[in-house]
Amino acid sequence: MSSKNSQPILEDVNVIVAGQGGDGSLTVITMLADLFRNAGLNVYTERDVLSRIRGGHAAATMRAFTGQRFCVGSHIDLLVALDEEAVEKNAHQINPDSIVVFDDSSGPLRDGLLPEGTKLYAAPFNRIAMRTMRRELYKNSIAFGIVGRLLGLEDDAMRHTFTKRFERRGQIILDYNLEALGLGLHLADEMGIKHGEGIYRIEHTEPEEHLLLMGNESVAFGFMAAGGRFFTGYPITPSSEVLETLQKWLPRCGGVARQTEDELAGINMAIGAALTGVRTMTATSGPGFSLMQEGIGHSGSGEVPMVLVDCQRSGPSTGMPTKPEQSDINIMVFGGHGDFPRIVLAPGHPEDCFYLSFDATNLADKYQCPVVIAMDQALSQNIASVKPFNLDDIEVEPGKRLTPEEVANLETYKRYGFSEDGVSAFAAPGTPGGMSLVTGNEHDEFGLVSTDPKNRVKMMDKRFHKIEVAKKELPKGREYGDPKAPIGFIGIGMMYGVILEAVEMLESQGIKTRYHQPRTIWPVLDDTFDFINSCERVYVIDLNAQAQLARLFMHQGADSSKIISICRYDGLPYRPGYLVNQILEQEDKQEAKAQ
Amino acid sequence: MTTTPSTKTFTPARPIWCAGCGDFAVQGVLEKSLQKMGIPPHKLMLLAGIGCSGTIQNNLKCYGYHALHGRVLPATIGAKLANPDLTVIAAGGDGDGFAIGAGHLVHTFKSNPSIMYVVMNNSNYGLTKGQASPTSPTGYRDNAEAGMDSMLLGLSFLSSTFLARGFSGNPEQLGELMEAAIEHTESGKGFAFLEVLSPCVTYYDTHREWRARVVNVDEDENYDPTNRTECFQKLLEFKEEGHIPIGRIFKAQHPSLESLIVNKEETYPAQQEIGHDDHRKHYDAFMKAHLG
Repeated sequence: MSSKNSQPILEDVNVIVAGQGGDGSLTVITMLADLFRNAGLNVYTERDVLSRIRGGHAAATMRAFTGQRFCVGSHIDLLVALDEEAVEKNAHQINPDSIVVFDDSSGPLRDGLLPEGTKLYAAPFNRIAMRTMRRELYKNSIAFGIVGRLLGLEDDAMRHTFTKRFERRGQIILDYNLEALGLGLHLADEMGIKHGEGIYRIEHTEPEEHLLLMGNESVAFGFMAAGGRFFTGYPITPSSEVLETLQKWLPRCGGVARQTEDELAGINMAIGAALTGVRTMTATSGPGFSLMQEGIGHSGSGEVPMVLVDCQRSGPSTGMPTKPEQSDINIMVFGGHGDFPRIVLAPGHPEDCFYLSFDATNLADKYQCPVVIAMDQALSQNIASVKPFNLDDIEVEPGKRLTPEEVANLETYKRYGFSEDGVSAFAAPGTPGGMSLVTGNEHDEFGLVSTDPKNRVKMMDKRFHKIEVAKKELPKGREYGDPKAPIGFIGIGMMYGVILEAVEMLESQGIKTRYHQPRTIWPVLDDTFDFINSCERVYVIDLNAQAQLARLFMHQGADSSKIISICRYDGLPYRPGYLVNQILEQEDKQEAKAQ
Repeated sequence: MTTTPSTKTFTPARPIWCAGCGDFAVQGVLEKSLQKMGIPPHKLMLLAGIGCSGTIQNNLKCYGYHALHGRVLPATIGAKLANPDLTVIAAGGDGDGFAIGAGHLVHTFKSNPSIMYVVMNNSNYGLTKGQASPTSPTGYRDNAEAGMDSMLLGLSFLSSTFLARGFSGNPEQLGELMEAAIEHTESGKGFAFLEVLSPCVTYYDTHREWRARVVNVDEDENYDPTNRTECFQKLLEFKEEGHIPIGRIFKAQHPSLESLIVNKEETYPAQQEIGHDDHRKHYDAFMKAHLG
């Protein structure tokens, strides 16, 4: 036991497994995440893949930590490289303290790829897999044995996780993988990485209940918890898991989740369903969201409740399908033709995704308009450990839906009747006396087409008034950091975790900052303006080339002299260290300007 | 408890169609068929596309919806899947259904939902002043393309269950076809596709020409609407002879979409009460699946 005392307790570690697509990097990371979660740590995983099934550089990263983090850290502690390209591609994240496990089946690692002093463990996983198991496929399970030992995991815990992961795929596959793990553990012994003698010691705590979820799954379940019972969508990276999750869960509660022939069918089938009164959602990514614009406008003018999830990826056009970006902000807020009201919400991490999806579903029904949930690839697909959702804090709020009795007692039923809050009462098809017309054409209170100028103005005003009324209950932003700090940050989606950590890092360097996470980006709420007003300068972090988020605030009246845009659009996610460097550079410029 | 309401709702509009338009006959037989079959107005959803035909929902007492151009079928399927208790009917024109909406038509044949779709085919774009449509023959205006045949398209799907073609100039038979189509969907047998030859008197008056060319397969003892191969062959022969077959073109059996994907053990999606606590048990199962 004495040897353990020299090992530091694992508090925050970043592990990346990289190789070719199909090498099983993601499998290794997913199982590691499961192991660390079970040991009582929080985890966050990220994937970096190409838009193809097999081949091409692919990497998966896991961060395990005590406390709360919602991003990958600034450097990598352990790189598992299944080929040389994996070392080349990830060398920029390696520092002299890092450890590299390298598959040298094709020969030793070229000199000069790694910084001086990096500790390298080389072993031919691929060759062992081929020689012993006759299948290259098992090399990741062999490597797992070494990685697990290095990280201080128990052999039995590893076996247990393998069993959990592979048993549903049949006894033979499980047996082969366990055998491969055994080979890996044996190899670790030979390399001198003995059980209990890894680089870290894991302090096992009584694990809190933690769900391992990606944002897409959280969005799906928030919708379901809010009474959402109808979903249609067309598969597109990185939104497909919303469809897949709801296809699995909705039928169990009598809901319908359907894969349509295209995005146009997706949104129009959703509209048709919403007409019957069911709470409805569709999800897509940028190219699909572009295709849906006509339907979104229709949902606005026809006052058909609709929740739309846009899992943004790098654009324009088909762009970089698997890379993160936040460059659909303009079309989420201003897309479509003509003027119509809408709401755009922006969650920051998988837990937030659940609650904002829940809110979006309520809001769509209450205000009978399209509500967009602004996601991004990282928020959609990265997996984090989140606390079980608290259903006592949320309430399904019905819209202005009339019961058959209420309809029967009405003198006149008007689908688009004028009202104080601009929301008209709704009678679901099937209700006697509730017959009505729904159309995207301008219409009178009954839904009959009308081009009467006076009616037109009243109807437009009615629709926009709903949003003014809704403003009072739209999800407010959250603030973090030193409330008196002169320097502020604003960022949405995946930037949440990065900015929070940058705030901490800057504070440790004596620079006090604070962070405002807007959770509604359209309409822009007063708390965002108040935040900007109360800072000396605000860094708005955009993951796009044209500072779409910063410009949105300025367009709405924020003091542009206070806003400094930081933009990234190379397809890579921000890291806290990278952001801190950018800010320090800007701060130097500010100082130079002041002198 | 449901009382019969005395609630006043919208007054159906008067059709905007030109005097003599074939669409009047479609509306007439549709109203009659619905009445005859005892479908109450509040149980009916009539969804229509864009174009002259796309105003029919304004003229009937029912739950009406005006879909986006070409999108009436997905909207109609959405309504049916959300509430299979409703009678859900789609209406549209040949431009709406066969040009911009052709992809959805193909997939509706493929999935066989229990909806009725009536296409008022006038072989031109009436509302935008007479341009060629997907069914316009070669030579109509400057049309160099061949007109499509929706019955042949429908026949090519092994999942299609009901194909019929009527003629507005033969309202009696059209009524029979309409009733058969509604009956097909009401009994959950799947997609009833009814094309109606409905001449446009203003831009392309085909009334006399079509009357001369139609052949009623309902009166042909040798025509078997359940034999797909024979139907296909005969349809092609008619076409080559310059004839347009009308009547019950094809009938078959295939599971309907809603019978396959709507969970019959639970209340239908649109009929579930919003705000109940029932989701908790599903939530617990979801949590369990994602806990360690």
